Amino acid sequence: MSKKTVSLFLCLLMLFSVATAAAEGTTFTVTDMFDREITISGPVTRIVATEPGDCEILYALGCGDALVGRGLYCDYPESITALPAVQSGADTNLEEILALNPQVVVMNDMAHSTEQVKLLEQNGIPVIATNANSLEEVYENIRLLGKVMGKDTEAEALVAEMQTTFAEIAAKSEKTDKTIYFEVMPLEWGLWSAGTNTFMHELAEICGMQNAFADLDGWQPISQEQVIERNPDYIVLVTGMGETAVDEVLNRTGWGDITAIQNGAVYNANSYSMTRPAPRLMEAAMDLYHFLNDIVDEEVPAA
Amino acid sequence: MKKRTETFSLGIYLLFVAALTSSMLLCICLGSVSIALSDTVTALHNSLWGLEIPAGIAKSIILNVRLPRVLNVALVGAALSLCGAAMQGLLRNPLADGSTLGVSSGASLGAVLALALGITLPGTTHGGVMLMAMLFAFLALVAILGLAYGLDRSLSTNSIILIGVIFSMFASSLINLIISFAGERIKSITFWTMGSLSGTHFGHSLILGVAVLVLGGVILGYSRELNAFAIGEENARHIGVNVRRVKLIILVAVSALIGICVSISGTIGFVGLVVPHMTRMLTGPNHKRLLPASLFAGAIFLLLADLVARTLLRPVELSIGVVTSLVGAAAFVAIFWRTRKAG
Repeated sequence: MSKKTVSLFLCLLMLFSVATAAAEGTTFTVTDMFDREITISGPVTRIVATEPGDCEILYALGCGDALVGRGLYCDYPESITALPAVQSGADTNLEEILALNPQVVVMNDMAHSTEQVKLLEQNGIPVIATNANSLEEVYENIRLLGKVMGKDTEAEALVAEMQTTFAEIAAKSEKTDKTIYFEVMPLEWGLWSAGTNTFMHELAEICGMQNAFADLDGWQPISQEQVIERNPDYIVLVTGMGETAVDEVLNRTGWGDITAIQNGAVYNANSYSMTRPAPRLMEAAMDLYHFLNDIVDEEVPAA
Repeated sequence: MKKRTETFSLGIYLLFVAALTSSMLLCICLGSVSIALSDTVTALHNSLWGLEIPAGIAKSIILNVRLPRVLNVALVGAALSLCGAAMQGLLRNPLADGSTLGVSSGASLGAVLALALGITLPGTTHGGVMLMAMLFAFLALVAILGLAYGLDRSLSTNSIILIGVIFSMFASSLINLIISFAGERIKSITFWTMGSLSGTHFGHSLILGVAVLVLGGVILGYSRELNAFAIGEENARHIGVNVRRVKLIILVAVSALIGICVSISGTIGFVGLVVPHMTRMLTGPNHKRLLPASLFAGAIFLLLADLVARTLLRPVELSIGVVTSLVGAAAFVAIFWRTRKAG
């Protein structure tokens, strides 16, 4: 072997090792949903996400394997429950998160205090804060996590898939003045409904319907009298109360004159897919569309 | 000294009934949804005389939503207030009440246990919860009074309140512990602890009505003994009161009544504390007047608090506990201030 070949070989070796070092130690900056600039060294192979929606997005992007810890309520897809849970909300176990040694932690604003975020960051773990209350923000959330995981293409594809799904449903749905009342907490515990700035409101619009409580902002406790007066055409239960939920609503005293009750137009929706900022909102929209249109199909021959 | 009748005259009772009836009518006429007075009157009149009620919103809302709620609110208010008045008399302690003594927390603990363990009474939907709430309300009262008695035979204000507060904290941490282990049932338990009168129906009115009639009747029947307690247990014994027996009966009646209320409406703070005090300012300390007046005043107080909760932020509905606790906390401080100054 000549001297020249050896030096060329050494040069190549050096170049190669520099290249690998760069791949291992790539640092990049993302802006999270609270406009905070977060520097992350990637590629990210160990991540903890505390919110069910973020976990579902990570799985949809094909990053399920990178998840090493989850929040207590993250239960979809089912395989995620095998991961260690680090509690949730105010009880989030920061020690356990540190012990899992993640490169990034994804948290949601609603459930976490700034103190928790600060503590993790002081320990050298960057925290991405997400906060999606509209479909637009879910897309932003997906793109953000795509960037963090180096899955920009997959993220764009997922966003496009969601947009197409919703656009198709909207195109198929006739715009009407009919109203949907979304019940997020049952009568027994005091009624709550969902107003604007909720996925339910947007899904109703996509299906061409009006939200009966569009005058409210977010989730609010409401009076039973208001439901009776507003006389919704459809009732969608997002209470997660199990199989008997529809019967309970159909048999409520004083509700007999509500159009939805008279038509039996009460639907027990999957409360998780309809409330979580995640790709499953597509399923929620399809389910809602099917429910609304099965009713219409039944009504047409009768009329 | 001029002899005068201790009890209220029939005229005063009629006045109470009139005040209560007009409060109830007001609460039926006003609500989250505005309904024309004429429609309300028609619905009420026709249902009273068994005539056909014109179908529509007035019928649904007035008869099926507001009427049962107003009835339940009045009954719960009456029961809580009567219980507070009886306990304040029995323990000679101005701060005694279901919420300060930890009886309500005990009832909550019982109800949560029933939900977590799935305890049910056959043939009823909430019988198990109600029974466990009653049982634990009584156990809590016995435990608290037993501890207080062991510490300080005179059952003084400070030790009872202190133990009550500690017990309440203990009960709520137990509730949280149960919730941590409850798994699937966590939802119903968490929501149950929030409590609400908004979904209550005539079935509840029947239970509450019978409870107030029977248990409230028992408490009212011991007005004379409660008066004797007011001048000290020793004196009560001297004038022929079976102290132990009377105490036990009143405590059982009070805890059963609070247990039933808590199992239906959740914990509503301060009604039992504040209303008897406000009433006492008008009637004086004689239980033959204080107890029936507290009964009516409690009903009216809670009706008005519920009216505020229902209408203030419509269509949003406030929790009734927010309203009573706001008024109650201010009154609590005032009472505490006055008794400390006087003592």
